[in-house]
Amino acid sequence: MDGIKKDDDRDDDSEYSPFYGIEKSAVLQEARCFNDRELDPRRCAQVITKLLYLINQGETFSKKEATEVFFSLTKLFQSKDIGLRRLVYLMIKDKEICPSSDEVIIVTSSLMKDMNSKTDLFRANAIRVLCRITDGGLLGQIERYLKQAVVDKNIVVSSAALVSGIQLLQSNPEIVKRWSNEVQEAMQSKAPLVQFHALALLHQIRQNDRLAVSKLVTSLTRGTVRSPLAQCLLIRYTCQVIEESGPNAQTGDRPFYDYLEGCMRNKNEMVIFEAARAVTELRGVTSKELTPAITVLQLFLSSSKPVLRFAAVRTLNKIAMTHPLAVTSCNIDMESLISDQNRSIATLAITTLLKTGNESSVDRLMKQITNFMSDIADEFKIVVVEAIRSLCLKFPQKYRALMNFLSNTLREEGGFDFKKAIVDSILILIREIPDAKESGLSHLCEFIEDCEFTYLSTQILHLLGNEGPKTADPSKYIRYVYNRVILENATVRASAVSALAKFGAVVEKLRPRILILLRRCLYDNDDEVRDRATLYLNLLGDGMESPREDAQSFLFDITDVPLENLEASLQSYEPSERPFDLAAVPRDLKPQVQVEKKAPTNREKKAAKDASLKAGADGGASNTFEAYEKLLNAIPQFAGFGKLFKSSAVVELTEAETEYAVNVVKHVYPGHVVFQFNCTNTIAEQLLENVNVIMEIVEGEDFTQIATKPIASMPCGVPGQAFVAFEKPDGVCSTGKFSNTLRFIVKEVDPSSGEADDEGYEDEYQLEELEVTAADYILQTPISNFRNAWESLDSESERVDEYSLGARENLQEAVQAVTTILGMQPSEATDVVPSNARSHTCLLAGKFLGGAQVLVRLSLGIDSQKQVAMKLAVRSEDPVVSDFIHEIINA
Amino acid sequence: MILCVLFTNRTGNVLLERFHGLPAEERLHWRSFLVKLTTENLKTARDDEVFVASHKSVFIVYTVIGDICIFAVGKEVYDELALMEVLNAVTASVKEVCRKDPSERLFLEKYGKVCLCLDEIISQGALEHTDKDRIRRLTRLKPLAE
Repeated sequence: MDGIKKDDDRDDDSEYSPFYGIEKSAVLQEARCFNDRELDPRRCAQVITKLLYLINQGETFSKKEATEVFFSLTKLFQSKDIGLRRLVYLMIKDKEICPSSDEVIIVTSSLMKDMNSKTDLFRANAIRVLCRITDGGLLGQIERYLKQAVVDKNIVVSSAALVSGIQLLQSNPEIVKRWSNEVQEAMQSKAPLVQFHALALLHQIRQNDRLAVSKLVTSLTRGTVRSPLAQCLLIRYTCQVIEESGPNAQTGDRPFYDYLEGCMRNKNEMVIFEAARAVTELRGVTSKELTPAITVLQLFLSSSKPVLRFAAVRTLNKIAMTHPLAVTSCNIDMESLISDQNRSIATLAITTLLKTGNESSVDRLMKQITNFMSDIADEFKIVVVEAIRSLCLKFPQKYRALMNFLSNTLREEGGFDFKKAIVDSILILIREIPDAKESGLSHLCEFIEDCEFTYLSTQILHLLGNEGPKTADPSKYIRYVYNRVILENATVRASAVSALAKFGAVVEKLRPRILILLRRCLYDNDDEVRDRATLYLNLLGDGMESPREDAQSFLFDITDVPLENLEASLQSYEPSERPFDLAAVPRDLKPQVQVEKKAPTNREKKAAKDASLKAGADGGASNTFEAYEKLLNAIPQFAGFGKLFKSSAVVELTEAETEYAVNVVKHVYPGHVVFQFNCTNTIAEQLLENVNVIMEIVEGEDFTQIATKPIASMPCGVPGQAFVAFEKPDGVCSTGKFSNTLRFIVKEVDPSSGEADDEGYEDEYQLEELEVTAADYILQTPISNFRNAWESLDSESERVDEYSLGARENLQEAVQAVTTILGMQPSEATDVVPSNARSHTCLLAGKFLGGAQVLVRLSLGIDSQKQVAMKLAVRSEDPVVSDFIHEIINA
Repeated sequence: MILCVLFTNRTGNVLLERFHGLPAEERLHWRSFLVKLTTENLKTARDDEVFVASHKSVFIVYTVIGDICIFAVGKEVYDELALMEVLNAVTASVKEVCRKDPSERLFLEKYGKVCLCLDEIISQGALEHTDKDRIRRLTRLKPLAE
C-alpha cells in the first residue's frame, strides 16, 4: 500500500470521516445484506460506497472474496430502487470485483434484459457494462442491439454505444468496423458530444485507409461540425491529410489551409488554439502562413485563463526553435509571464525569451530570471543555463551580466549535472569571448574554493594552469591553486600541483616561490602528488639557474599520441637499458574491432547510421577545430603544410539513408587544402577495404593533387576517414569545383559467422560534387564591440559599393544570402531583421586567410516591389582584402 | 486518453482516484509525481484557481476547491485544453453534489455520488458527458428533461 494514503495520516478532523476505522473484513461481512430476502436499498448503497472507498484506497480482494461480492451484487438486480441500480452498474464494471468472462454469464441475462428495457438509461448503462465485461463470443449476439443503439434518438444511449465502440475496436475490430454506416449517421446528431465520439470512432475505423480519411476530412471541413471537441479532432485529422498530400499542382497553395485559417476565427478558444497550433506545425510553414497563428497565440498569452496562457507559450516555445524571428513580436507579453504564479508557464516563457530576446532586453531579463531560479527544479535550471550560454555567444558584449549570473547560480545549491552545465558554459564563454577570460577565471577560482565535485575541480585547475600564466596578473591565481593542495583529496591535489608547475614554467618572477610550494608537496601522503612534485621540480630546474629547455613544451604541448595506443605500447614495453620512446608510439587510430562476430543486425545498421550522423553533428561543435588540428597533425603527409587556418562545417556528399554515408570537411592551410571524407558503411553484409576518394577537378586551375590517405578497412557501422590534399598558390583564395567518387574493394561478409570472404572485388560509388568557395578562406570571429573595432581600422582601407540583389521575399532572406556567401560572423545579433522592416544594417566580422581582420557593414533596403538594394562597406587590416570582398559579391 | 483523475486533500493524501490505461505498478509513481509537482503551487492557491503543466507527452491540469484538490492527467487528444473540459465537468459536479466548496468531511460523505458522477463524465478514458445537470440526472437514472 502506498505511503500517502488517507488512513496513514489521521488528524482530529478525520474522526468525522464516515470511513473512519473502515476494515475490509467488516465490509465484506456487511455485504451479506445483498443476499437478504427483504433488501434494504439504503443499507446496500452504503455498503457499496464503502466497497468503492476500499478499492479506491488500493485495497485488493482475493479471487474468492471478489467472486462472492460479485455474485451477491447480481442479486441486487431484483431491487426496484433505481439509485441502488445505478450503483450496481458502477460496481460490477470494476475490475477488482468483476470475475473472469466465464463467470460473468450469471449477470448477462439481467443486463440483456436491461438492454431491451423501455427505460433509456437502463439501456445506456447495460451497454456500457456489457461491452466492458463480455468477450467476443457474446458480442456477436448483442451486436444487432449495439448497432441500433449507435443511432438511438436518446443521446445518452447513443453516446454509451459509441464510447463502448471505441474501446471494443481494440479487442474486436471486425465487429465494430461493420457499424460504419450507423456511426456516420450519428455524426449528424445535434448533440455535440455524440458528434465528438462518432467522429473519433469513424476515424479509427478508417484510419488505415488514406483515401477514406481524405474523403472524410474533405466532406466534414465543408460541412458544419458543431462540437468544439469534434472540431479539434477534425483539425488534427486535416493536418494528417495535409502532411500526406503535396501542395495544389496548379495554384501551389497548401490544401485545407483556408479551413485552418477559418478555424482561427471560431468562437471557441479550444478550436482557435488547435487551428493555430496545427498551422505552426505544418511542414515548411511560410512566414505568411505563420502570421495569423502567431497573432492568435499572442492574444492567448494575456488571457485570464492559465490553460490558454500555458498552451500559447508552450506552442511559441516550439516555434522559437525553428522560427525565432516570428516569435519576437510576442516578447513583451512573454516577459510579463515570468512572474506567472504557475511555474510551468514561467519556465516556458523564460526559455522562449532566451531564444528570441534582443540585446537591449538582456539585462532586464537577467534580473527577472535571478528571482525565478531558486523556485525551479534542477532540470529546468539546466535548460535555463544552456539558453543563457547561447544568448551570451549571440551577444558577446553582454558577457559581463551573463557571466555574473552564471557565477551567482554556481554558488546556489544544486546537483552535479547542474553545476557541470554552468562550468561548461563558463569554459565555452572564456574560449569564445576573449574579453570574458579574466572575469571567468576569477569566478571559477571562487567556485573551486567550495566545490564538492572532484571532476569539476580538476577540470578548472587544468584550465587555470593553461590560461592563468597568460593573464595580466598571474600571481593572484596561485593562492587559489595552492589552497587545493592543502585542502582537497589526492586527485585534486595532483591537478593543483600540475597547475602550479605551469605557472612556474611560464612566469619567471614567480618561479622561485612556486619551487618553494612544490617542495612542500614532496611530503604529501599520496604518491601521485609526490611523483608529480618531484618531476616538476626537476623540470623547473630546482637548485639550478634556469629551468630545463623542454619544460614548457613538456607541460603545455598536448601529446598527439592516442591514449589507447600509448597504453598498448607501454604495456608491451619491457624495462631495459633502452628508454621508452614516445615517438615510436603509432599515431594512427586503429579501427575498432568488432568484439562479437555474430550475424549483423538491424541495430548495427542503426549504429552505422548514428555514427555517420554523429560525425556530421560533431562538425558543428565549436571545439572541433582543435580536434581537427590534432588529427591532421598526426598524419605525416600533411606535416609540412604549416598552421591550419580554418576547417569548414560538414558538407554531406550522399543522401540520407544510402548504402554508404559520406560527408566532407574542408581544411584550409595557407598553401594547401585538405579534404577529410568521413565515410560510414551501413551494409552489414559487406566489409570495405582500401577505401579511397577519387577527386577530379571540374573547375579551378590553381589546384594540384599532392597526397591521398585511404581507409585500410571499413566494417559496417565503424566510421573511417579518408584524406585528399591539394596544393594551391600560397595565400591565394583559389576557388574550385571537384567531382568525387568513392572507390573500394568489397568483401562479402557471411551473416551467420560474421567472417569476411578472402576474395573481394573492386567497386565504385558516385558522390556529390564539392566546391571550394571564397567563404572557405574567411574565418568567423566574434567581436564584442563592432563600433570600436571598425573605428580602429584604417579608414583608408574602406571600400564602399552599391549592389542590387533583385527581388527577395524579405530583408531577412537577403541578409542570410549575403552572410552565407561571405561566411562571416554576424555581430551584435544584427543578422536578425525585425519583421516587415524596410531597411536594415547588418554587421559582419571575420579573419581573412593570412590573419587580416575584416569588417563589413551591410545596409539594405527593400521597396514595394520587393527589390532589394544593398550598400556594402568593408574595412580591413589589408586593403587588398577589402577589394576581394567586393569581388566575391560581384562574382 | 484521460489517464487519471485524482482527488486529494490539501496535504496531498489521496481520497479518490480513477486510472485508465495505466499499469497498476505505475500508479504509485504517478500519485507521488503529481503531489510533488504541485505542492508548491497549491500552497498559496485560491479556490478555483487552475494550474497546468506538462511532462514529456503528458498534460496535467489541476485545481483546488475547498479542502479538495482535483487533478486530471491526459495525453494525445486530451491536451491541456481538452483536459480543462474534463476538469470543469468534474469540479462543477462535485460542487453540485456537495452543494458548496467541499470540506474533506463533506466530500467523503458524498463519496458514492462523486464516484457516480465520475463514471458519467469519464468512460474508459474518454470524456462522455460534461453538462452538470445532465450528469446529476444520469446518476439518479432520471430521464433527461427534453
